[in-house]
Amino acid sequence: MSDWAGVFIFFTVALVFGAGGILTSFLIQPRRANPVKMEEYECGVPTIGPTWVQFRTSYFLYALLFVIFDVETIYLYPWAVRFNNMQIFTFIEMIIFIFILIVGLWYAWKEGALEWK
Amino acid sequence: MTPFDFSIPINPSALTLEMLVAALGLGILILGIISPKGARSGLGWVSFLGLMGIIGVAITMWGQSGELLAGMYLLDNYALFWKITFMVAAALVILGNMRYVDKVGNQAEYYSLTIFATLGMMVMASAGDLMTLYLGLELMTIAFVILVCLRKTDNKSVEAGMKYILLAGMSSAVLLYGLSLLYGLTGSVIMLDISRIIAMQPVSPALVLALVMIIAGLGFKISAVPFHMWSPDVYEGAPTPVTSFLSMGSKAASFAIILRLFITALPGVWENWAMVIAILAGITIIIGNLVAMPQTNIKRLLAYSSIAQAGYIMVGMVTASEAGIKGVMFYAFLYVFATAGAFTVAAYFYNVTGSDELKDYAGLSQRSPLMAAVMLVALLSMAGIPPLAGFVGKFYLFKTIVDGYLWLVFIGLIMSMVSVYYYLRVALVMYRDEPKDPSPINVSGPVTVTLILTMLVTLIIGIYPGPLSEVVNSAAHSFFLH
Amino acid sequence: MLVEFAMMHAWLVPLLPALAFLVIVFLTRPFEKLSAIIAVGSMAIACVIASFAAYGIFTNHEYTKTPLVYAAKWLSLGMPGVTDSLMVHVGVQLDPVSAMMMFMVSFISTFIFLYSVGYMKGDPGYSVFFAYLSLFGASMLLLVISSNLLQMFVAWELVGLCSYLLIGFYTHKISAREAAKKAFVTCRVADFGLLLGLLALQITFGTLNLVELGEKIHNFQEYTSIGMLTLIAVLVFIGPIGKSGQFPLHVWLPDAMEGPTPVSALIHAATMVVAGVYLVGRTMFLFHEVESAMQLVAVTGAFTALFAATIALTQREIKRILAYSTVSQLGYMMLALGVGSLTAGMFHMWTHAFFKALMFLAAGSVLTALHHKADVWEMGGLIKKMPITGWTFVIGGLAIAGIPPFAGFWSKDEILVATLAEGHYVLFAMAAFTAFLTAFYMWRMIFLVFFGDEKPENHPQESPWTMTVPLIVLAVGAIGAGWFGTPWYNVWAEWIYFGEPHHGPINYGAMLLSIVLAGSGIYLAYTMYLKDAQKKRARKLAEWFGPVYRMLYNKYYIDELYLWFNHALVDGTARLFYLFDLYVVDGLVNGIGTFTKSSGDGLRVFQTGRLQNYALIFFLGVLAVAVLVTFTGPSAASLVLGGVK
Repeated sequence: MSDWAGVFIFFTVALVFGAGGILTSFLIQPRRANPVKMEEYECGVPTIGPTWVQFRTSYFLYALLFVIFDVETIYLYPWAVRFNNMQIFTFIEMIIFIFILIVGLWYAWKEGALEWK
Repeated sequence: MTPFDFSIPINPSALTLEMLVAALGLGILILGIISPKGARSGLGWVSFLGLMGIIGVAITMWGQSGELLAGMYLLDNYALFWKITFMVAAALVILGNMRYVDKVGNQAEYYSLTIFATLGMMVMASAGDLMTLYLGLELMTIAFVILVCLRKTDNKSVEAGMKYILLAGMSSAVLLYGLSLLYGLTGSVIMLDISRIIAMQPVSPALVLALVMIIAGLGFKISAVPFHMWSPDVYEGAPTPVTSFLSMGSKAASFAIILRLFITALPGVWENWAMVIAILAGITIIIGNLVAMPQTNIKRLLAYSSIAQAGYIMVGMVTASEAGIKGVMFYAFLYVFATAGAFTVAAYFYNVTGSDELKDYAGLSQRSPLMAAVMLVALLSMAGIPPLAGFVGKFYLFKTIVDGYLWLVFIGLIMSMVSVYYYLRVALVMYRDEPKDPSPINVSGPVTVTLILTMLVTLIIGIYPGPLSEVVNSAAHSFFLH
Repeated sequence: MLVEFAMMHAWLVPLLPALAFLVIVFLTRPFEKLSAIIAVGSMAIACVIASFAAYGIFTNHEYTKTPLVYAAKWLSLGMPGVTDSLMVHVGVQLDPVSAMMMFMVSFISTFIFLYSVGYMKGDPGYSVFFAYLSLFGASMLLLVISSNLLQMFVAWELVGLCSYLLIGFYTHKISAREAAKKAFVTCRVADFGLLLGLLALQITFGTLNLVELGEKIHNFQEYTSIGMLTLIAVLVFIGPIGKSGQFPLHVWLPDAMEGPTPVSALIHAATMVVAGVYLVGRTMFLFHEVESAMQLVAVTGAFTALFAATIALTQREIKRILAYSTVSQLGYMMLALGVGSLTAGMFHMWTHAFFKALMFLAAGSVLTALHHKADVWEMGGLIKKMPITGWTFVIGGLAIAGIPPFAGFWSKDEILVATLAEGHYVLFAMAAFTAFLTAFYMWRMIFLVFFGDEKPENHPQESPWTMTVPLIVLAVGAIGAGWFGTPWYNVWAEWIYFGEPHHGPINYGAMLLSIVLAGSGIYLAYTMYLKDAQKKRARKLAEWFGPVYRMLYNKYYIDELYLWFNHALVDGTARLFYLFDLYVVDGLVNGIGTFTKSSGDGLRVFQTGRLQNYALIFFLGVLAVAVLVTFTGPSAASLVLGGVK
């Protein structure tokens, strides 16, 4: 029973925490509408033109490629540290791993992901 | 001995299939990079023939058994059967939809991602620990996300991709939460160890919570109600070949891993999950069939029908017995063929007419008797009408639960009857209505082969289920030998 | 070598015509000649294989005791090692009975196929007809060689299906369609009984394999009571009642004449109808154990024989007379089986196949010549213009009437003797009287059709060789097929028997009686229908016995009875149910339907296409599952409810 009480308390607290915040702000908020308040942004500059603009996907692609090679380093590092104690098979494995990544890079390059157009 | 001990020698030949499939996928990608745009439609044949070759290799490996890395990776007939099923599914999808893919473009991406998704499924089938499971699952899912939004210029396709990645991410998170709870409770990620440790402890609420999370996370993949909301939208929006592969490959792979996880790692708490699975199966069968009825879009109809089919397959899990596993595998195999048949017709039809609407299928029997016949056979098999394969499959599944879950048998029977209604609606439209455009549809060679093959297999398994039944028996038997 | 091959590959016999069916349907349908060649050729090859296999069986007495059985696993339900799992085989069981049948069916079929080549000439559905014929032959052969009852049942149903297709072959004729429907429905009713019987057998004895069943039923006390076994036997017998046209389910058989004549011949002589007799013969071990079931078979048979013969006395259409004679002869066979003589029953089936096929084909030849004018009263003197058809028909008539040395005499005699030997005097009297009636109505027809004055409006011509050759071959059979089983030299009884072979003493009295009865029947027909050119006596007789005559002519009003039954009872109840249906069930069903559909529509509402909603539903689902797991798992539930764990 005690175990379940813990779970129950956990859920209750979670619920109260979430609902409590909304409820409190709902209760204590000032309800005075004026034109400034009804704008999209209460503070700051009014938007010019449509807000639904697209960002260049190139940002995303660069970031993605960076992450891939960043992660590669994480794999390579422990491998390099233990390199002397390893069999030849592990070496080949890492070559294959890098090769796969290179194919990916090759593909990205070929598809023009690295060009800023 | 921890699985991360690098001093354990791995026998690489045990992973022949996975390596071959990975090599094939990479090869297709490289070929796609180096070949000119016009020559890329040949990639379909390369992938198809490559897969057929690997299926050949896989068949020679029948009977292998063993464990790699202390149970991280399990090799048995069970895994092998699933792997062959996935590859057959992929090969059918590729063979039947080459023209569709040529129209969409991006052949290299399409074929290599299809193969990588297959690889993910294969890893899932052999997964013996939670990490490998998740790895395979994500490999498959990410490949599918890209495949779903392959038609970049089509808003529906992109929307479907967006929905899929967000919801899949959510479900993955839930699943991971469940898996990590499981790890936290048992201190192991190896399924065989988990099952031993769980057997020694009393059932704790945290374990139940883990169970809930896992059921939800994997239930999403098989689109079990109430975790099915994504599938009609995604199925409709995705390119039809992808939909087809999603509904058979992804689903079959998820079933493979669900069986493995629940029956290998969690048999000790069988009492806790059996009834839930039974209830979910019942709800899935009911909702899938009910909502399929008012559908007017053939892909949406097939999507709901595939939800219902997942419900039927879940029935086999309930008893956690060899017979149940056998039923699941049998049904999944024939489901692959029925689905491939139906979706290939849908894809080809879309190719020719640009429509997925049911009303445009009017008079298909006059325009292309073959397509109409294949659609009919596939749908009737899904409805479980003898002597088609679906009947035998349903028989195997429901036979396991006659003792103790009779209510579920009744739900299955009644809903099968309901399903006949909407399946026959398609048949009526195809056979009774006069076509608006009576011009005949010429079916190209590879598509004809795919269609006839799916139809023949559906018929033959229905009439003579013996051999497949024995293969599946052996596979199900090997499941418990670890 | 060849014999060995044929015996081990007897499954080829049904397979070849089945392949012919597929080939014709899918490939050669546009090429009529080729289709016909394929059908006839495959059946002929099947016949050759069958005859070699039969030769192998009939040269080794071992097979009378232990049949040659081989089977392939077809379907297994359940897991290996589990004892109560159901295992179904497809297999071949060859013993003298099945070998004889296999040979007979393929032999007769070959000639009927050949005959059809000429008969169906110019029909728009020529190829399809041969396809159906092939499938029909294949199904029957499959039935014959089956090693288990389930396989037999499948073939049995296939035969029924083919008969439906073939009887209704002239789809433009309403009567043909109706007849096909009648045949199918009547047989289905009976098959239901058979299916129940088979299920009961499977449940009680755990197998449907003929050999195993034979052993198990021999010691049935270990499994079940005699009451249950009686029920099973009766249920199983319902199937043959329908398929072999026994009273009261004989109504479909005369209507089956609506199909093309070769089909009638095939149905009546070699396939379909004898399937019922064969099934009873095959399951003799079952009936043998149940005295009352045997009596049921015998009485049904004897009654049907007499009953159908009386109807045949007054019929006017040539094929209809033959049809009722078939019903009557089948009654004979059932009678023989019912008195325990597998030998006599099978023997009569064997001889009957020849002369009945012969007579049907000859009738078809007559119908072609007369442009399908069927009334025997409008024919006459045809034998001069159609000598081959006429004389072969006469041979058939002698055979069926039971004049020695023609085939029918020996087999009929065998049945009479067996009935007498078992002490069934009443049945014997019925059978003997039927023999007299048979001779009378058969020769009434022959005299009316082939002798007497020629009718000037008819311009008959002899048929082409493809039609006459089968007639001649079958006529030879109708003469000689009975010589295997003469009382003095009875090879038949040495090979085909149930239990122990038995040689009854030669009963000259019965022999003499049957000759006298047949002779007087023929003589009576001669005096009434040939010598008396004006048929005065016949008319007078019909007038004297007006009501009886009308009753017989209308087949005892059985059809009308069924129709009435159908109208009054079925339609009446149906009417009642309809009203009930309309207001109660429909309301309910429509309610459910509307509910189902609207719930489908309603559930669609959730499919908003909005991601947030989906995510919400997903997590609600997680919550629901959590609740479910908590309340369904025993240990967890006990935890929550404060149980011990």
